[in-house]
Amino acid sequence: MVKRILAIVFILIIGFWMAKALDQVPFGQDRMLVGKYYLEHVKEETGAVNAVTAVVVNYRGFDTLGEVTVLFIASTGVAALLWRKKRKRTAKTEGSVVLTTGARLLLPFIMLFGVYIFIHGHLTPGGGFPGGATIATAFLFLYLAFTVYEVDHKIFEPLEGLAGVGYVTVGLIGLAIGGYFLFDWIWQTWGIGKENIGRLLSAGFIPIIYTLIGIKVGTELTGIVDNMIKEPEEGGQ
Amino acid sequence: MSVASIIGQALVLFGTFFYVLSSLGLIRMPDVYNRMQTATKSATLGSLGVIIGTGIWAIGEVGSYSWIPKTLIIAVFLLLTNPIAAHALIRAAYKSGVPLWEGSIVDRYKEAESSLERVEEIKEKLEEPSQEVETNE
Repeated sequence: MVKRILAIVFILIIGFWMAKALDQVPFGQDRMLVGKYYLEHVKEETGAVNAVTAVVVNYRGFDTLGEVTVLFIASTGVAALLWRKKRKRTAKTEGSVVLTTGARLLLPFIMLFGVYIFIHGHLTPGGGFPGGATIATAFLFLYLAFTVYEVDHKIFEPLEGLAGVGYVTVGLIGLAIGGYFLFDWIWQTWGIGKENIGRLLSAGFIPIIYTLIGIKVGTELTGIVDNMIKEPEEGGQ
Repeated sequence: MSVASIIGQALVLFGTFFYVLSSLGLIRMPDVYNRMQTATKSATLGSLGVIIGTGIWAIGEVGSYSWIPKTLIIAVFLLLTNPIAAHALIRAAYKSGVPLWEGSIVDRYKEAESSLERVEEIKEKLEEPSQEVETNE
């Protein structure tokens, strides 16, 4: 009881100080320094209509590469922690007929929607990470509805690695052409889709990178689910 | 105020009315199964009304038809997924032994399961030598 009261008092004090500090920050006023530059120059510099994805992929591309690396390390870490030679799914109850039929029916639609999200990253809200998570949701749906379902690991893990390599390759081509890593060579040097802003074939390498990130995130989250859902077989080590 | 706006607003009102009804049902109903019933059916219908109503409202207000396909896709997706989710939830609740309301009279699912078990027992007996079955009868 004393512990709980002490915790509540501490949290209240911390919250009070945070509110006090945030009170100094003006709200709803135009005090942007960098943000204004992004909003004014995003169209002619990157070709993207969605300023968030332009910042995430183009202006601050290193952060996205870091995020992708974090996800890759998470996936690899889970796989390394749960590694056994013989692992199998031990689920016993099959989902009901309604559930399995629903999963079969909805799977292509969920996949299509995930692909839509990451292809249209430069036009609509979303991008590679939400699209990849949606695709992983489709696979999670299959894993939960069927007791025997398992993804094809011979295709999945190489695809994951290839997508990551593709991202770095796009960055390295930028280094070769423009002089720095993750330079947007398709937009700045080639100028593909310059008069096409706001349509699908624009925005330089943002759709390409987001396609790669979407594939990577989708396969990675599916791999994490796959690793966590399987249990070691009897006697297998 | 065009006709499309009025129809859309009426549909949105209709949908929100069903939302209120479904949340009322969540408070009012006695057990999990009855609550899922109200929550699923009236919330799905309410969402359909609100979503499609928004699409039609946009025709009258903005004059653009581009909202209609989007809202229709969302509505169809919701219409397909919501019953499946409710089905899975209720089935899981029944399998993990959530009791029925004491006022409910029949539990055909349990009867069917027990009769299935009886069928299994009879099958096992049939696999044994046939004269034993005769003596059992």
